[in-house]
Amino acid sequence: MQGLGASLPVLLLLLLLLSAQLPPPAVGDQPPRALGAERSLDPSSRLAVGAARVALHKYNFQAASPSGLRALGQVRKATVKSIPGMGQKYYLQFTTEDYRSRENAGSCLATVLYPKKKSPPAVNIKCINTKDQKQIQEEDNRLYQKLKRQTKPIIGSNIPDIFGNMEPAFEPVWALAVAGSSYMMWEKSTEKVGYFMSQVKSVKQWMRKDDSLEFDYTILLHEMPTQEMILCHMRLIWLPGRHLKVKYTCESDSHRLEDGSGMESGSAAGITHEREENF
Amino acid sequence: MWLFLGMTFSLGILIPGKLCSDLQYDGDQVLHIVPETFQQVQHLQHLCSTLMLDLWKPQLLEDIRAGEDLHIRVPAPLVQEVKDSLDQHMISYKVLINDVQELVDESVLKERSQRQVPEGYNYTEYHPMEEIYEWMTQIEKNSELVTQHYLGNTVENRTIYYLQISQPSNKPKKIIWMDCGIHAREWIAPAFCQWFVKEILQNYESDATIRRFLQNLDLYVLPVINVDGYIYSWEAERLWRKNRAPYMNGTCYGTDLNRNFNSSWGSVGVSFNCTSEVFCGSGPESEPETRAVVQLIEQKKSDILCYLTVHSYGQYILTPYGSTTTPPSNNEELMQVAQKAAAALMGKYGTSYKVGSTSLILYSNSGSSRDWAHMIGIPFSYTFELRDNGTYGFVLPPDQIQPTCEETMLAVTTIIDYVDQKYFPGGAVMLTSGSLSLCLSVVFTWIAS
Repeated sequence: MQGLGASLPVLLLLLLLLSAQLPPPAVGDQPPRALGAERSLDPSSRLAVGAARVALHKYNFQAASPSGLRALGQVRKATVKSIPGMGQKYYLQFTTEDYRSRENAGSCLATVLYPKKKSPPAVNIKCINTKDQKQIQEEDNRLYQKLKRQTKPIIGSNIPDIFGNMEPAFEPVWALAVAGSSYMMWEKSTEKVGYFMSQVKSVKQWMRKDDSLEFDYTILLHEMPTQEMILCHMRLIWLPGRHLKVKYTCESDSHRLEDGSGMESGSAAGITHEREENF
Repeated sequence: MWLFLGMTFSLGILIPGKLCSDLQYDGDQVLHIVPETFQQVQHLQHLCSTLMLDLWKPQLLEDIRAGEDLHIRVPAPLVQEVKDSLDQHMISYKVLINDVQELVDESVLKERSQRQVPEGYNYTEYHPMEEIYEWMTQIEKNSELVTQHYLGNTVENRTIYYLQISQPSNKPKKIIWMDCGIHAREWIAPAFCQWFVKEILQNYESDATIRRFLQNLDLYVLPVINVDGYIYSWEAERLWRKNRAPYMNGTCYGTDLNRNFNSSWGSVGVSFNCTSEVFCGSGPESEPETRAVVQLIEQKKSDILCYLTVHSYGQYILTPYGSTTTPPSNNEELMQVAQKAAAALMGKYGTSYKVGSTSLILYSNSGSSRDWAHMIGIPFSYTFELRDNGTYGFVLPPDQIQPTCEETMLAVTTIIDYVDQKYFPGGAVMLTSGSLSLCLSVVFTWIAS
């Protein structure tokens, strides 16, 4: 989007805007929570790290960019506030890395609200880019062209294979799966349960007459802390810079963990979820 | 090439005859001469026999000829005298080896380190259980430091072995325990245990830190605890976690071994349903794999200073406890040492590890082996969660095996070194005379093979 020179004032504006939204960090230990009181968290605590991951799932889905996927670096600052009638709201500052190369990708500010009733966490996230956005777009376009060039539908399984090897030809398909899975993982995450995408079990392309790419995936998600592997079916439609549409169902038994806090896992089988990101 | 072979051949002949004593050839030089005339040949023969110089090439005085290579080893005290004599007679020479002792030391170390580990074993790929069994046998055969021991049997009646690395000595030693592969799908863990053994055996003579701690500590390494599960993850289901114990009349399989130990068993972060990945079993220590580990550690617990258990993924060094947020009695020290280890690890490739108690930074869980180890009194108990941080997770590409193992090695040796310095303070590092004694007949046979 903009060159390095232009990004600095934008960055400052961004920080200004967002710091205005962030509550001041709490000082010392809070007494047992009053309604609406907010406390600071150890940045390495699992609630803080979990919330940061959820924020990144949403980011990765919204960015709809297989070349611009990010993974969590370190959480720098975290506070949480109890919003009466709504739920727990986390305020986070964290660094990110490129999903594959682990190179520094810039830091993000985010809020994550876990609602009291079962529905997806509400996420607000803004990130700084250390990589040139134009370059990322070009990579996405290259990736798109490579896939578009295929005259026969792409079909694959076990990406990566059991040894962790991935055929270069399937890397774009895998990266697209991560972007799409991010939607599933964002929706399914709760304050206590989080996800990682483990493996593409199978992928099949549906050839389209229009410009979009369409794939049917079976994906294995790793669920924590239950350690379960959740099998999901995902239908994905992508046009770079335009849209990423995801429709999915996940299968899993509902496993209760024996724990006073009533941890739960998984989502009920058979519920279809649909979402579209348009630009 | 032939020159080198000849030299090492000569070294091989040389050393056994000198009864492997220390510093025998310090400053000795090997000279290369090509006599040009018959007079020169005669002078050289005279010189060699008078001073009783060691002929390397040819073997016999009468075989010295004009126009042919002559190599003689000159003892340090005679070097100047011999060179002066050669100069006087206008015999040109070259110094082939400047210090025989140096060369001998180098080649002994190299040869011994290569022989400690099976040749051709690839530590940068994942190995199935059959190959790991083979490897353990070979390692024991090749190394004077390693012995293989029976720990117990798995549910499916397979043998669980551990390796003991022990520097022979009269001193009573304390123990460092490290196990890998409690969870079947975490393949990078057994890969690390194998790497660790290889590194110790290759470097115990040249690395001062390792040399020091091996004087005081024995290392017990268990490359794969959950043998059945590991095999199952190779043959049937890559992402299998638990062991292969049948429950519910064989309709459901597997206990999470890391929920099966007697540390607040069954209280938090577990399921009593066999279908769950964190099923804690029918009772504490219900699984034979758990019992095998427990009985050995119980037996030796007064000597075990450090319990390390290696998992993946997530990039953590975890301290007790998982079953409660109440910190252990030595929490401050545990954290300090873990942070030191994480810093050492990060120094290699910039990989960042999080450090803290399982219950605070990962999740609550009861029945873990690490909690149990600390509860029975082993002071330094840690869980390692190796690379990566979620990109590939359990299915870590093989090209990451080496960097993961290299960086983790630094963390583990930092911990072992700390434990060693704490319980065995002071005392200079002793140069083992064994490393200087030359049993180059071994070199010779290696060259010849």
